[in-house]
Amino acid sequence: MIGVELRKLFRRPRTWVTIALLNALPVLVAVLLVLTDLAPRPGEGPAFLSAVLTNGTLFPLAALAIVLPLFLPIAVAVVAGDSIAGEAQGGTLRYLLARPAGRTRLLVAKLVAVIAFVLVTVVIVAAVGYVVGTTLFDVQPLATSTGLSGTVLTPEQVAGRTLLAIGYVTISMLGVAAFALFFSTLTDSPQLATLGALAVLIGSSLLFTLDAASAIAPYLPTRYWLSFVDFFRDPVLWRDVTRGIGLQAVYVVVLLGAAWANFTTKDVTS
Amino acid sequence: MASGGRRFGWRWVVVALGLAVLVALPVAVAALPADDTDVSAADLRARALASDDVAFSGYAISTGGLTLPLGDALTPVADLLSDQTTMRAWYRGAEDWRVDVVTATGETGTHRDTDGTWTWDYADQRATRGDEPPLALPTAPDLLPSALGRRLLSEATDAEVTRTAPARVAGRDAVGLRYTPADGAASVSAVDVWLDADTGLPLQVVVRSADTTIPALDTRFLDLDTTEPTAATTSFTPPTDASLGQDQDLTDLDLGRRLADVDLPDGLAGLIRREAEGVPGAIGVYGTGITVLAVTPLPGQAARSLRSQLQATPGAVVDDLGVRISAGPLGLMLIGSRETGAFLLAGTVTLDALATAAQQLSDTTGVR
Amino acid sequence: MTETVIATRGLRKRYGALRAVDGIDLDVRAGDVYGFLGANGSGKTTTVRMLLGLVLPTEGEVEVLGRPMPKAAREVLPRVGALIEGPAAYGHLSGRANLALLDAAGPGGSRRSRRQRVGDVLDQVGLGGVGKRPVKAYSLGMRQRLGLAGALLRRPDLLVLDEPTNGLDPQGIHEIRTLLLDLNSTGTTVFLSSHLLAEIEQLATRVGVLDRGRVVLQDDLTTLTAPTGATVVQTPDPARVRAVLGDRVLSTDADSAVVRGTDPAEVNAALVSAGVPVHGLRLQRPSLEEVVLAAASTSADRVGVPA
Repeated sequence: MIGVELRKLFRRPRTWVTIALLNALPVLVAVLLVLTDLAPRPGEGPAFLSAVLTNGTLFPLAALAIVLPLFLPIAVAVVAGDSIAGEAQGGTLRYLLARPAGRTRLLVAKLVAVIAFVLVTVVIVAAVGYVVGTTLFDVQPLATSTGLSGTVLTPEQVAGRTLLAIGYVTISMLGVAAFALFFSTLTDSPQLATLGALAVLIGSSLLFTLDAASAIAPYLPTRYWLSFVDFFRDPVLWRDVTRGIGLQAVYVVVLLGAAWANFTTKDVTS
Repeated sequence: MASGGRRFGWRWVVVALGLAVLVALPVAVAALPADDTDVSAADLRARALASDDVAFSGYAISTGGLTLPLGDALTPVADLLSDQTTMRAWYRGAEDWRVDVVTATGETGTHRDTDGTWTWDYADQRATRGDEPPLALPTAPDLLPSALGRRLLSEATDAEVTRTAPARVAGRDAVGLRYTPADGAASVSAVDVWLDADTGLPLQVVVRSADTTIPALDTRFLDLDTTEPTAATTSFTPPTDASLGQDQDLTDLDLGRRLADVDLPDGLAGLIRREAEGVPGAIGVYGTGITVLAVTPLPGQAARSLRSQLQATPGAVVDDLGVRISAGPLGLMLIGSRETGAFLLAGTVTLDALATAAQQLSDTTGVR
Repeated sequence: MTETVIATRGLRKRYGALRAVDGIDLDVRAGDVYGFLGANGSGKTTTVRMLLGLVLPTEGEVEVLGRPMPKAAREVLPRVGALIEGPAAYGHLSGRANLALLDAAGPGGSRRSRRQRVGDVLDQVGLGGVGKRPVKAYSLGMRQRLGLAGALLRRPDLLVLDEPTNGLDPQGIHEIRTLLLDLNSTGTTVFLSSHLLAEIEQLATRVGVLDRGRVVLQDDLTTLTAPTGATVVQTPDPARVRAVLGDRVLSTDADSAVVRGTDPAEVNAALVSAGVPVHGLRLQRPSLEEVVLAAASTSADRVGVPA
């Protein structure tokens, strides 16, 4: 079942168009940086962008930081929002269920496919970022990078921590995916499910900036998104990373549970 | 066969129960009762003061409730006292520690060694060497609960401290201690300190002023581990591509250096003048404990700009004596004129005490 | 007594105040071609979906292939092929890829034989030579054939088909009809839901008629259209028939007369001996349309003033 969902997702031209569009922004930023030589000050603009002019191997991280706040969650919401509602709208849901692909299994397979999509997307963004970064920017032989704490990171450390950051960014998207998947079981319109998830996302980002909402801030799905930066402190600051993972896990469990409760008892009339 | 609604409702019940458990869990953990210890307030204060050999690593948040009408030169200090500051700390001893102020995309680290400090600023890619000047503006490491708690309690007398209810801080049992300044001029109504029951390390410090319910400062550990951090963690070697600098000593600043000595009275508003190391003679420091008043003559230009700034501050009191404001427990007052010269009075005293001090100052120096 | 393939007892589905299906008892036996007839909106589709576990009944029981639905869906549905309210497929994939995905999405059927089975059903429905063309380039008729291929993929014991000849040209309808009759002759039970009387009349061995959520008629087609005990005489002179046979004549019109009697030879002999010209003789049988119209009240599309 999971294999079927993966094949469906990755044989779909739209999936690759989405990934290509997602890569367009970091590449554009890189080209502009090279042409103008105007890097933002460290600590300003997307994380790590300041450092790429001197060390192109950091561009994968800058690329992630560029797509993380908006582009990536939109792509995730589109794919996850489409998962059930898209099948319903296309009429294929009734054939899948009559096949029978069990409803719970279908739901889990859809979530796994969305996670795979996020992982593939993030890896491609990082890989494209690496290629772009190392071709457009300087790479010193035996490059050393200065982490946030002013300590020197070896290329191996940078590579290892970049992998950790890729994993963490993937996990960070699970909350959005779970929201979109849940909404996708509520409606037969994939657009509506996507918009619902984006509304949650925008609401969360807005509340996060509001002091009055500080009491609920630790529970907002976007709260710990930027914590992938913490991998580049020395020692690594695990506190927000572990909280971020826990929070996303809670969102996934609760929303997948709600999606399951709704979908397994739903009349499929599409 | 049961009706559809009842047959499938249990799934929603399961989901709702799961959600309730997940939501209740952090609340339940936070509500765990804290164990108290039967120690007298004076002994507790002594334990806190002796805790500077307790090694730890931790994560702390300091929340300032002050809005200071300070100029651009003092923005870092104003931010420290009005905003939330997130800190990571590693402490091996009084002269071997590190405090990082963590922001979303960068950090500023202070590394203390036997000779002084290295300050690393990621935003500027700059490492600055400083040599622990006797007089310095407050920085983030001063707000760490352990440092602030010890500093404030060291000013207290045994008569001024009482025991309060225990609390759980950073997941540890913390015993409560309250320092209530006895001085009538004090604008700080109380300082609450919670100390680690095991080590005596201050875990949380809350500075309260009389006129508001919002604490002037609340700093606490969220995580604390009392295993000793490695030396490699606290030490610092500037990266090769960073720019290096030497820290400015506050006594090098313009403040009071070019001022002629003025005969300041030995007492103001009931506070006794005291000697403070590194303070120029033109500046008078009065009071004890955390009730402190500083008096400094100001050059005409600085006085004029500060006066207009203070007058524009909401709640400023302007009368014959001068202009005065309060921000939480902090009071600021400017007296004098272009003809007679000007004085700035600043400290943790009430507005009334400021007025009294201004009147006495005006009487003895002729500034009005 | 043959095995029961579909049995429902008191099956009911309410959407709020609307009773889409209002207590029906279906009885489909092995080897039947069951014609499930009903006007649009009579509850046909809802019933079909309840049989397949897509819509959950408000009340009542469903048994398919002897097992309760939707509880035993995992054992039952792999043995059921379905075409529900028109075909559906992923437009960007070829028909072959669509069938392979559908086959892989559920239990049963080995991975190794998949390619072979997909090829077979495509040949069976006449799409063998369609190649790699994506489904979005298919005509309506081709999509219908693909949908049917999906239903046949598992070599099911029961086929549940909702309007299977929709969008097909007369030639295609004939092909599909032949295919279904072939399958039925090799033991597949066919549940055929349609609003087309002619289709049901030509294919079905048993008929159930649904009207506003209730089954108003359910019987073998041969029983429903059994001889009425009268003979129809084709004659240019119906008046003379009445003259010869008197009150045995039940009715007459311009070129025929209906005569009581179940032996056309006897009627013929009586008329011919009296010199009445007879062009044709046959036993009178009611048409399915007459039976259905007599049983069902009015079209469900009509929105009348409630009585």
